[in-house]
Amino acid sequence: MLISVSNLKKIYVSDEVVTKVLHGLTLNIESGEFVSIMGPSGSGKSTLMHILGFLDKPSSGKYYFEGQDVTKLEDEQLALLRNGKVGFVFQTFNLLPRTSVFDNVKLPLLYSKMPDEEKDERVKKVINAVDMSHRENYFSNQLSGGEQQRVAIARALVNNPAIIFADEPTGNLDSVSGVQIMKILQKLNDQGKTIILVTHEIYTSEHAKRIIKIKDGRIVGDEPVMNRRIATDGEILK
Amino acid sequence: MNLINSAKLSILNLSVNKVRTLLTTSGIIIGIASVIVVMSAGEGIKSLILGQLDTFGTDIIETEIKVPNTAKNKTQSQQESGIAMVQGVQVTTLKLKDMEDINKLPNIKGSYSGILGQEATSYQGKLKKVFLYGVTASYDEIDRGEIAEGRFFSESEDKGLAQVVVLGSELKQDLFGESDVLGKEIKIKKKNFQVVGVMKKRGSIAFFNFDDLAYVPVRTLQKKILGVEHLVHIISQFENKYQAEYTAEQIRRLVRENHDITDPDKDDFVVTTMAEAMEVLATVTGAITLLLLALVGVSLIVGGVGIMNVMYVAVTERTREIGLRKTVGANYADVMRQFVIESVLLTIIGGIIGILLGIFISFLLYRFAITHGMPSWRFIITLKSIIIALGFSAFFGIFFGVMPARRAARLDPIQALRT
Ligand SMILES: Nc1ncnc2c1ncn2[C@@H]1O[C@H](COP(=O)(O)OP(=O)(O)OP(=O)(O)O)[C@@H](O)[C@H]1O
Ligand SMILES: [Mg+2]
Repeated sequence: MLISVSNLKKIYVSDEVVTKVLHGLTLNIESGEFVSIMGPSGSGKSTLMHILGFLDKPSSGKYYFEGQDVTKLEDEQLALLRNGKVGFVFQTFNLLPRTSVFDNVKLPLLYSKMPDEEKDERVKKVINAVDMSHRENYFSNQLSGGEQQRVAIARALVNNPAIIFADEPTGNLDSVSGVQIMKILQKLNDQGKTIILVTHEIYTSEHAKRIIKIKDGRIVGDEPVMNRRIATDGEILK
Repeated sequence: MNLINSAKLSILNLSVNKVRTLLTTSGIIIGIASVIVVMSAGEGIKSLILGQLDTFGTDIIETEIKVPNTAKNKTQSQQESGIAMVQGVQVTTLKLKDMEDINKLPNIKGSYSGILGQEATSYQGKLKKVFLYGVTASYDEIDRGEIAEGRFFSESEDKGLAQVVVLGSELKQDLFGESDVLGKEIKIKKKNFQVVGVMKKRGSIAFFNFDDLAYVPVRTLQKKILGVEHLVHIISQFENKYQAEYTAEQIRRLVRENHDITDPDKDDFVVTTMAEAMEVLATVTGAITLLLLALVGVSLIVGGVGIMNVMYVAVTERTREIGLRKTVGANYADVMRQFVIESVLLTIIGGIIGILLGIFISFLLYRFAITHGMPSWRFIITLKSIIIALGFSAFFGIFFGVMPARRAARLDPIQALRT
């Protein structure tokens, strides 16, 4: 089992205002799955994804990653997990401005144990995998949104992680660019990568193999996709 | 991530964010440069004062006239001679005999004495009111002034009331321009004086312009021009500086006896050694240094607050960047190491530029000083000033670079990413 979560809760407390975001979620995800986390705005999708991706900590409940109790880990070990086991793609790309595509993609490798001489080759390989080799030396802010998101995917891939987390990766893109991103994600999943995709659009979520529906911090549905959509050129992402 | 990679990354970061780098370093540059300039100026002023002392010589004792203390002014300062002259109060007791007696003292190499006057002087219709400095011929040996052309007058000329004159360089220029002067006659108070020499350019010392003087034999000035018999001062050169104070005391006793004074309170003269003058000046320069230190302090605080603000803003701006780095696997130590290295680099770059700028400005100041009548101003950059400047910038740069970064590096990655 890759991910095993039980009775996961998240409560935010700020200025005496208590916000209960996740109310005891239980779910399992196997290696090689392509899961959509679907739900309306504010339902807690991103919060769940951040906890699953070691960016945030649950208030209570259990989280086992590859059999390891994540809630017992120190910050240092969480950083290692973030670096080696997961890759993130955000709605707003989160690339470093005035920094080249190459250096942006290389960023996670700065904190990895990979031998220096292998790094550049690895960076070029993943840039090529998202078809961005022709823009390798461009600054990130000189790229279109779709191109930036492809660079962000390359960055998520560079450490060869077990899981890619994508939080509304097509949210800021036009449909043509969106389809390209979904194509890449499906291809990665075909190659064996576990993908966890957060979205509030049913159409987008149907590119996954399994949809977990969330509402008000509770799981309200967990089903395989019957008629899975395959992203193809010319498709209009609604 | 190892240190070399961290350094590479920091250099990349600094070059990517040029404006931020420039702003941050400018605080350091200004702070460092101002410390160096202020401290160099302090050394310059010191050298200026000491240089002026040196032009008089440090192996001399001066006996100068002074209005004696009366019951009324007894509490006032001892050093009233100058004021007495200006106010026109005449003390006429200091005579050539006093000088001759001083010369007999064991530790005295020799003396010259002098009196000042001011008279209309002319050459071929050019008229000028000129300061006349009547001195004994021994002035030539004792004073640091040097002859440019011709010669100084002799003792026999002095004793024979010869009408000869040696001109200061500016005065020569004023009256004669570039033409020859030796042997020419000028009129002083309608009497003919033969020019026998011209002094080398010397500049102003303590607002007294030596180059504008006409040197004449003291007896000639006393008898033929001023109609007096007294002197204003006697300058004596001593052999052994360790006995200078003792010799000064001997001079006091001697002159007192000559002037029939029993109560030292009623002295109509004052004897000072250069050592005493040096002490007074040391106090003055000490005060100036203190003032400059206060200035340094203020510039340090201003520079420091500047650095602090820029660093603080920079880190706030960079909280997202920190969040992103943590998201892709940087830990607390990685983030801190990056900020420390960046701060150190900024401090080093700013430090080097600041030092160079400070030295450059100090040099301009020096050029200005020596071309504006302060020839003994010296261009000095002390190691101390560089150490203080660097220590300051290292402290502020690194402390204020790292402190706000600590706060950001402690955040959960998602918190930092969301700001
Ligand atoms: N730091 C926080 N402090 C307090 N409340 C928070 C915090 N972060 C998120 N929340 C709240 O948690 C709830 C869920 O947020 P979350 O971002 O997970 O929603 P989401 O499902 O991703 O929505 P969207 O589709 O709009 O991105 C929201 O109501 C939000 O206001
Ligand atoms: Mg969200």
